Amino acid sequence: MFYVDLAVSGVVFGCMYALMAVGLTLVYGLLRILHIAHAAVFALGAYVTVLVANVSGSILLGFVAAIAMTPLCGIAIYRILYQPLLHYRPDVPMIASIGLLVFMQDGFRILFGEQGVTFVKNPLAIESVDMAGITLTFAQLAVLVVTLLIFVALHLFTTRTRIGVAWRATVSNPRMAASFGVDAIRVRYLNFGIGSALAGVAGGLIALLNNFVDPTIGYVVSYKALAIIVLGGLGSVRGTLVASLFLALVESYGTIFIGSYLNRDAIAFLALILVLMARPQGFTGVRTA
Amino acid sequence: MLSFARGVLGAFAFFVSQAALADVKIGFQAPLTGLAATDGKSAKAAAEIAIDDLNAGGGVLGQKLELITYDDQAKSDQAIFTANKLIGDDGVKFAISGSYSAAGRAAAPIFQKAGVVFISAYGVHPDITKAGDYCFRLVRLGPPQGRAAAFFIAESLKLKKASVISMDNDYGEATLQGFLGDVDKYGIKVVNKYNYSLQDRQFGPIVAGVKRDEPEVIYATGYFFTAGPLVAQLRAGGVKAPIVGSQAFDSGKFIDIAGAAAEGVYIVDGFDRYRKDPKLEHFTAEFQKRAGYPPEGVAAEVYSSFDILVDAMKRAGSLEPAKVRDALAATKDFPMLNETLIGFNKVHEVIMPASVDVVKDGKFVHFSTIEDKKVLAPPEQ
Amino acid sequence: MSAYTISLLSIVGINVMLAVSLNIISGFCGQISLGHGAFYGAGAYSAALVAVTTRNLPLALIAGALVGSMLGLIVGFASLRVRSDFLAVTTIGINFLFTGFVRKQGWLGGEMGISSIPPSGLGGTGNMVMIELFAAGTIAFSLYVNASWMGFAFRAVAEDEDAAATLAVNAVSYKLVAFALGTAFAGLAGALYAYFTQFINVDAFDFITSVMLMAMVVIGGIGSTFGVAIAAVALTLLPETFRFINEYRLLVFGGLLVLFISLAPGGLASLFHGTRARLRR
Repeated sequence: MFYVDLAVSGVVFGCMYALMAVGLTLVYGLLRILHIAHAAVFALGAYVTVLVANVSGSILLGFVAAIAMTPLCGIAIYRILYQPLLHYRPDVPMIASIGLLVFMQDGFRILFGEQGVTFVKNPLAIESVDMAGITLTFAQLAVLVVTLLIFVALHLFTTRTRIGVAWRATVSNPRMAASFGVDAIRVRYLNFGIGSALAGVAGGLIALLNNFVDPTIGYVVSYKALAIIVLGGLGSVRGTLVASLFLALVESYGTIFIGSYLNRDAIAFLALILVLMARPQGFTGVRTA
Repeated sequence: MLSFARGVLGAFAFFVSQAALADVKIGFQAPLTGLAATDGKSAKAAAEIAIDDLNAGGGVLGQKLELITYDDQAKSDQAIFTANKLIGDDGVKFAISGSYSAAGRAAAPIFQKAGVVFISAYGVHPDITKAGDYCFRLVRLGPPQGRAAAFFIAESLKLKKASVISMDNDYGEATLQGFLGDVDKYGIKVVNKYNYSLQDRQFGPIVAGVKRDEPEVIYATGYFFTAGPLVAQLRAGGVKAPIVGSQAFDSGKFIDIAGAAAEGVYIVDGFDRYRKDPKLEHFTAEFQKRAGYPPEGVAAEVYSSFDILVDAMKRAGSLEPAKVRDALAATKDFPMLNETLIGFNKVHEVIMPASVDVVKDGKFVHFSTIEDKKVLAPPEQ
Repeated sequence: MSAYTISLLSIVGINVMLAVSLNIISGFCGQISLGHGAFYGAGAYSAALVAVTTRNLPLALIAGALVGSMLGLIVGFASLRVRSDFLAVTTIGINFLFTGFVRKQGWLGGEMGISSIPPSGLGGTGNMVMIELFAAGTIAFSLYVNASWMGFAFRAVAEDEDAAATLAVNAVSYKLVAFALGTAFAGLAGALYAYFTQFINVDAFDFITSVMLMAMVVIGGIGSTFGVAIAAVALTLLPETFRFINEYRLLVFGGLLVLFISLAPGGLASLFHGTRARLRR
């Protein structure tokens, strides 16, 4: 049972990682930028969910607001910050991105307080269900269901709709897509919009799981999501999903069995380095050089 | 024209007299930005209330107190800059750290060398007071806190089978050592030890482990931002054993986060905040007004640091640091906001009883007091 | 000179060493590293251990540089395996592995760090002068490397590894040399830091530190020794100059970082001469 519990907690967290990291993968696939300020978009999603839920009394409305706000933020970041920097070495936009993360994170602290915010009413985090001996909180259950729904919807969008197909084509091969008449700029907006919305949902779900959002909430995302997309092979959505689950499971079992030698982050990065030494292109990447 | 000149002169005179009154400078370091900003904000608010209260009470030796606050981000190098700045640029003779150990520990030797009386309000690293005779500490060290927890579990709760969860920082490690050092004495069996880092908010694997352990009691160290989610997740995961938490659980936010799950959680060496005491009541109201949330232990410790320092100045009848230092070291039975200080030992560590609090109906209430001097004895060197 | 100024200048010197040495790896040789804090920390810890046991200043400094460089060489080997952004994230991993490892090692003080590191015996001012001399030495070395054949080879590797081979530049050995050299100076800087604070704990060498160092390189202008050195000075002193705004410090700092890169993506160096072209990809 113990091992199953560890697996379940790993899978729940893997879902969170996947939602956080997919947006980053999308941006990287298109622009080759390590979009670290994605973590700030994630934090924005978390704050908006809690604050709107507390004012309106509806957690669902909190999520709707987060999904509405975060794409705007993501698109603004692209338009204002990245677009003028696209012709420079990738570390230039990356440092600008880090500066923005510092700025936004501290902005959240000043606006919403050092103490952080909590849901006034959040029964989902405390109440749990028993299924075949496995105890899951409703928040964890929500994470599993929402993640599944989102990825099914994304899959349908990119295979069944015109704009979705154009988008997928551009992400995998921008030049080819352009020659078929796809509007690359619109695709970029779409990309930042969808990626940021996913980060917003992830932020809201984490807020639900922890019943707590503080200004440093994005810090872990800023580096863990990078590890995940690299492990997944940079730019591959499928790879990102695999890497998210892999890292979360490694952390889950690692915390128990080698936790007294290395902390959670170190365990995750040790796994990352070992995998990269064996497969320098990550799980699904194709070695180009 | 004339009246204008008079106005300017008047304003000038006003500033001069202000400067003459604001005389005793007290340097204050706190993590106003960065990862420890939560405690920094509380510390700053408490320091400002303390200075206002003390000035309203007539200042010290006919002079007003002036607070000079710098941000140290709870980092060593920042604390070294600000300690030197306080000494060199501002000329302070007295300093208080409302910051974490890494900062207090780096600053202590600098204050010691400059002969500045220095109090660390809540930094728990043993080396802070080892820097020398000018350095004091107003919070109990980690090891006696851990020993007090073992004592409480064995003697009050009479439970013998424990799972231990500790956080990865100097406070967590020191407290854990104190706890583990005493478990054999009381016949407590530690089934398993788990640790987590301060960024963690999801404790699924630890909850799974504790469930497997089936302990009678859980001892955990953590700050409210880790303790809140941890306790909520333990309870949601079906763990029913009583939870004994460390001092740093102590924050109203802990109850906000954990909600109903916080009920029945014990906090060893907590802050007995509803004690009948006009001074405490005044402080609580004032803090709520300025900071927007109720004060926690950290705030009380910072306030008392100013209080006890000024008390020593008055008893010394002098503002000479060496005399204030001796008066401070000789402090006896001083009522602080959290506890009554019995005195300092020879390395300037506090001797005071420890309050055990329990969460009841969404509030911290006093449960019992640990007075055993041997359990709470700070190290002598 | 006040003790405040001395302590400030000491950290300025240490940061100049760190940024200029990172520039050798990331600027000259094009190997993005976001784990410079690990080498800095490895130097600090090994110097601290040697200082506590032997009380010998030169020995401790050498130990710092040597251990930093050895760790750097190992990461250099990793850089042969993984490239560009994969390497960047691998080096982040090295940083987290370093801090995670040290936290659990009793012989390295664990969470408590290493204390009572003996003073250098030079006094505060002497200590600062020593740091500044090493910082000047690092700048001079960096300028020398850049002007030498090695600098040319580094640039060739940075531009295009495969093309470098056609110029008879062995990318493998130059990458290793870049890592070994750059991290040796980082280790030395760590040793100086240990003597400066006389107490170290692992939080001083975390990922945020590494990111700040990379920011210095980018703000200074990737590949420009003087630009990077000036940026290191500026980014260390800047937060001090607006100390009076206390709790808004980080906000302003982050904002300025964004603003500066938006206005001058080529860094300080590009403001003085036309290195823009070279930085474009």
